Amino acid sequence: MHPALHPRRRFLRVVTAALIALPLALAGCGGDDDSSSDSDGPVELSIFWWGGDARAKLTEDALALYTKKHPNVTFKKTWQANQGYFDKLATLTAGNDAPDIFQIDDNFLTEYASRGATLDLTKYRESGKLDVSKFPESLWKYGEVDGKLAGLAFGENTQGLVYNRTKLQAANVPEPTTGMSWEAFISWAEQAGTATKVAGTQDPSADYKAFWVWLRQQGKDLYKGTDLGFTKDDVQKWFELWKGARDRKVTPSADIIHEGNATDITKQLVVTNKALTSWVWVNQMPELAKNTKDSLGVIAYPGDPSAQWARASMYFSVFRGSKHKDVAVDVINFLANDPEAGKLLGTERGLPSNLDTRKSVAEAVTDPNMKLSIQVETDLGTKFGKAPQVPPKGHSTVRSELIKAAESAQYGRATPAAAAEAFFNAAKAAIK
Amino acid sequence: MASTTTTRPRPGPDRPKAGVSAHRRGLRPDRTREGLAGYIFLSPWLLGLMGITAIPMLMSLYLSFTDYDILSTWSEIEWVGLANYRRMFGDDPSYWHAVQVTATFALIAVPLKLAAALGVALLLNRERRGVGLFRGLFYLPSLLGGSVALAIVWLNIFNRDGAFNGFLGLFGIEGEPWANDPDWALETLMVLAIWQFGAPMVIFLAGLKQVPTELYEAASVDGAGPVRKFLSITLPMLSPVIFFNLVLETINGFQGFTSAFVLSGGTGGPVDSTLMYTLNLYIKGFTDYEMGYASAMAWVFLVFIGVITVVLFSTGRFWVHYSDGDDNS
Repeated sequence: MHPALHPRRRFLRVVTAALIALPLALAGCGGDDDSSSDSDGPVELSIFWWGGDARAKLTEDALALYTKKHPNVTFKKTWQANQGYFDKLATLTAGNDAPDIFQIDDNFLTEYASRGATLDLTKYRESGKLDVSKFPESLWKYGEVDGKLAGLAFGENTQGLVYNRTKLQAANVPEPTTGMSWEAFISWAEQAGTATKVAGTQDPSADYKAFWVWLRQQGKDLYKGTDLGFTKDDVQKWFELWKGARDRKVTPSADIIHEGNATDITKQLVVTNKALTSWVWVNQMPELAKNTKDSLGVIAYPGDPSAQWARASMYFSVFRGSKHKDVAVDVINFLANDPEAGKLLGTERGLPSNLDTRKSVAEAVTDPNMKLSIQVETDLGTKFGKAPQVPPKGHSTVRSELIKAAESAQYGRATPAAAAEAFFNAAKAAIK
Repeated sequence: MASTTTTRPRPGPDRPKAGVSAHRRGLRPDRTREGLAGYIFLSPWLLGLMGITAIPMLMSLYLSFTDYDILSTWSEIEWVGLANYRRMFGDDPSYWHAVQVTATFALIAVPLKLAAALGVALLLNRERRGVGLFRGLFYLPSLLGGSVALAIVWLNIFNRDGAFNGFLGLFGIEGEPWANDPDWALETLMVLAIWQFGAPMVIFLAGLKQVPTELYEAASVDGAGPVRKFLSITLPMLSPVIFFNLVLETINGFQGFTSAFVLSGGTGGPVDSTLMYTLNLYIKGFTDYEMGYASAMAWVFLVFIGVITVVLFSTGRFWVHYSDGDDNS
C-alpha cells in the first residue's frame, strides 16, 4: 500500500485495538483480586457515612489519626444527610462499586447481610483482628444476621423522649419523668400544651420505634422471627390511643405532625418549636440542641422503661467486593477500640461500644447535652430489657407503611381501624 | 456523506478516477476503510447510545422478568416470568393509586399550562417597548426547570406558615397547609408545573410570528372582530405548534418526578397524595429493593407513553392544519 496511508492505518489499528481492549479492561476492574496481603503498599479506602457536620469533623479527625499511624493508608471520604443515603448506597452496591467501609443501621443491616453485600466479619472476630472483647456481648451480637457478623456495632443508644425544658420552666410546668404511663404522659402533655401555648407532644403514631416500645410493654414485639410480632388489634389500639390525644388537642395539626415525621434532626418539632416533645434516639440530643436556643431534657419513652433496649445505633460494615478487606477491617477495629480515636469520636454516634473507651469518654466529656445523654442512657442501662432481633428484610417498607397508615388517620382520611388494617396487611406483605 | 466523498475525484496514484471501471477496482477496500473510519468517528455517540441507553434498556427489559433486588449479585437473580406484570395489574393497589395520581396531574396541569403559555404568548406578541424584558421574565421559571431548589422554595411558600398564606392573610383568609395537606399537595405540584410555562410560550411566540399578517388584514376588511380572528386564523395557523407543545408537555407531565420527590421527601406523601408514577417506581426500586418489579413498571410506562403519543398523533389529523404550498414552500 501507499506509504502515505500508513499513519492513518496505524491510527485506525490503535483505535480498534483500544475499542476491543476497553471492555476487557473494564471487566478486569470488576474482578475481586484481594491484594490485602500487600499491607505496606499504598492503599486508598473509600468510606461512606451519613450524618451532620459535627460527625464529619470527628470522623475525619479519627481517620487522619489512622493515616498518621499507617501512612500507606489514605481515605476517600464521602458523607451526606440521612435522607437519600441508603438510596445512594444501594445504587453503589448494585454497580458493585460500594465503598470499602460504610455506615449502616439496623433498619437496613438485614437487607444487605441476607444478600451477602456485607463481608462476614466472623473470622476476623475469632482471630482477634476485630476485637470485641471490651464490647457488651449483646451489643456486638446485634450485628449478627443468620449467624454471620454483618456489621460492627458502632455506638449504643436507646429511644429518648426529648422535651423543651426552657418553655416548661417558663410556664411553671413540671418536667415529664421516666416511667409515666402513656395515659399520664398524654395528660401531662395536654396540661403543658395549655400552659405554654405550644402543642404538648409530637404524635408518635407514625414512629416505628415508639410503636415498638409500646408493643413490648404489651408483651408483644414488632417482629417474631420472620413474621410480625403483633396483631391488627394492637395496631388499632395504638392508633386509637393517639386519636384520643389528637381529639384533646395534645398534638399539633396533621400537617405539622407530617413535617415532624421526617427523619431530619432539624425538622423535629421540639427544635422547630411546634411541639414540646419529640421522639428520637438519645444520642441525637447534642445535635438537636444545636438547632435550638432552648435548653432540652431527655427521658425514656412513656410506660415501663424496661421495654427499651440497648440498640446498636449504627454499624460499620465492609463491602463484600472490597479489594482491601483486611485493611478495611483493621480500620473499623481501630475506630472502635483505639483509645485516642475513641476520644476524638466521643459519643456522637452513641455511647462508644468499647466499655473502656466509654468510661474514659464519659469522664472527659464537657458538652452538657452530651453529658446528659450519657447519663440518661447509663441510668436506663440498668433497666434495659433483652434486645429484640435485628429487624428482618422489608423493615424499611414496614416503616414507611406505618407512616402512611398513621398519617391517613391523622389527616382524618381513615378511621384508626381502617388504617390499622391497611398497615397490617401492607406490613405482612412487605416482610414475606 | 460517505458516498459523495468517494465519488469525488482526488489526487493520488491508487485513487479511483471518476469512471465506472475505476470505481469497481478501487472502491471496495476504500469504502470499507472509510466505513470503518466513519464508525470510529461515530463511536463516541454510538458508545453513548449503547452504553447509556440501549443496553441498560434491554437489561431492564430482562430484569422486569426477574426478582432482581439490586443488592444481590447477578448470579443470584431468578427468572420469575410474568409475575411482576401480574402483580402490577392484579395485586398492587398502590400501583393503581399512582396511575390515578399521575393521570389527574397530567390531565389538569398540561392543558392549563398550555393555555397559560398561549395566553401569555398572545399578550407578548406585540411590539411594545420593554416586551423583550417581559418575555425574558416569563421564561425565567422554565430555566430553573425541574430544579430541586425550586421545589424546596415552593414547599416553603405553600406550607402553613408560608408566603402564600401570609398573602391570603392580608385579606383575612386563613389558608390551608397546601403542600402538606393530602387534599392540596397534588394541586400545589400542578401550580408549580403550570407556572413553568416559559418553554411552550417561547415556541408559541415563534409560531405566532409565522402567521402571515395578510390573513388578519383580509379578515379585518371582511369585518371580523378579534375573537373571530383568533378562532379562525390564529388557532388553525398555530395548530401545528399547539400539537407539538401538546405532545411534548403530555410526555413531560406523565414523567413528573423531581417536584413530587422533593415536596414529599421522597415518599409520595402526605398519604400518597403526590405518588406520581415515576416516584412510585423509584420507591419500589431503591427503597423497597424490588428492582425487577420497578423495571416492569418502567416498561409498562414506556408502552403507555407510546400509546398516548400515537393516540395524540392520530387525533392530529382532525385538527392540525399544515399550511403547505402557499408562502413558505
